[in-house]
Amino acid sequence: MMVTDEIIAAFADGELEGADKAQVEAAIAADPLLARKVEAHRALKARLAAHYAPFAEGGVPPHIAALLESGGDERGTDTVDVVSFAAERQKRGLAPFLRRWATIAGPALAASLVLALWQPWQGETPEGYAGGKLAAALDTQLAANQSLDADTRILLSFERQGGGLCRAWRGADAGGIACRDDTGWKIERQFALDEAASGQFRQAGSEADLLAAAQDMAASGALDAAGERAARERNWQP
Amino acid sequence: MDETLGAIRFIHGKAHTLAIRFENQVLELLPRLRRFAIGLAGSPADGDDLCQMTIERALARRDQWQEGTRLDSWMYRIMRNIFIDERRATSRRRETFVDADAGLTIGSDGAQEAQVELGMVDRAMARLPDEQREAVLLVMVEGCSYKEAAEIVGCPVGTLNSRLVRGRDALLSLLEDGQ
Repeated sequence: MMVTDEIIAAFADGELEGADKAQVEAAIAADPLLARKVEAHRALKARLAAHYAPFAEGGVPPHIAALLESGGDERGTDTVDVVSFAAERQKRGLAPFLRRWATIAGPALAASLVLALWQPWQGETPEGYAGGKLAAALDTQLAANQSLDADTRILLSFERQGGGLCRAWRGADAGGIACRDDTGWKIERQFALDEAASGQFRQAGSEADLLAAAQDMAASGALDAAGERAARERNWQP
Repeated sequence: MDETLGAIRFIHGKAHTLAIRFENQVLELLPRLRRFAIGLAGSPADGDDLCQMTIERALARRDQWQEGTRLDSWMYRIMRNIFIDERRATSRRRETFVDADAGLTIGSDGAQEAQVELGMVDRAMARLPDEQREAVLLVMVEGCSYKEAAEIVGCPVGTLNSRLVRGRDALLSLLEDGQ
């Protein structure tokens, strides 16, 4: 039997049995070079295992675990609608430093837009505050769980420096950042965005500007899906 | 009448239990999946993105997983398929925009925010062709048998075996050079 490198590897990985294994054992006993190859293979295996072990031992990032924990009822039957995070990222072409944000702002998971049209300040909207549909979207929509073709899409939610909750949104040709205070959703930043071509291609630059502005205002990262839901439950109060 | 209602309730209850079980099983696999993702993608940041995409796709296709078969193999397969697709898309873009000599930065765009510095092993792994890297990771890190790894990757066992050997030899020489 010709003892190839493939056979040596298979032996070192415990893949051989019976007569094959016995033959290789005999060959190794007779040839120190083969013995060293087995040893090198096993040493590399141990080194790689040790190198990658910490990643399986450290905790899983919450935004990833949340995908599985928040599942169940809300996703219902339309799980097929999950949007490819990859496709979304390519469309947006976000700069690398924004990528951590994109993981949260990016995927609009299932198409189950909440349509509660609750508005505390019915009638007139104070100057500088969001009104109407925008206010409703800010109140109710969750970034992780909204219809992709919603008129207003929530990009992300975050806690601002100095306290208070803010949300970044965009529509077809404009977007902004609003923060919740006692009166309502105060519009802090507004951006004219290049027109997004029919939902297929989102203009890369301008939405990135918006996310960058949000990042500047934020105390830390964006809220994950669970954090956002909790914030909605306490009516966006800090 | 009451019996029928009872039966319906039972079916609903059962469906619910199965649904929960799927997600919990994936949750249990997450640490290993994440390790594989980081190994494939080359950095924790990219690995976490890959991990997230994998879970999204697995949830969307959960009805394609057959109860009683290995969920871990199924998830690994989804993950490597996404990764290979992403890499193809990325290299197409790279050919257009980026100096082809990007070398070590491939697969580690998120390095600046990575919690772990790129070490010797990471850099050596990044140099392997994808097909060798995945073979090395599945067998040497994830502890798959050759048959399991071949099924995940979708190639014959003999092919998997030779990819593993080529990847291993390349790693040994890269790590030796670097020391």
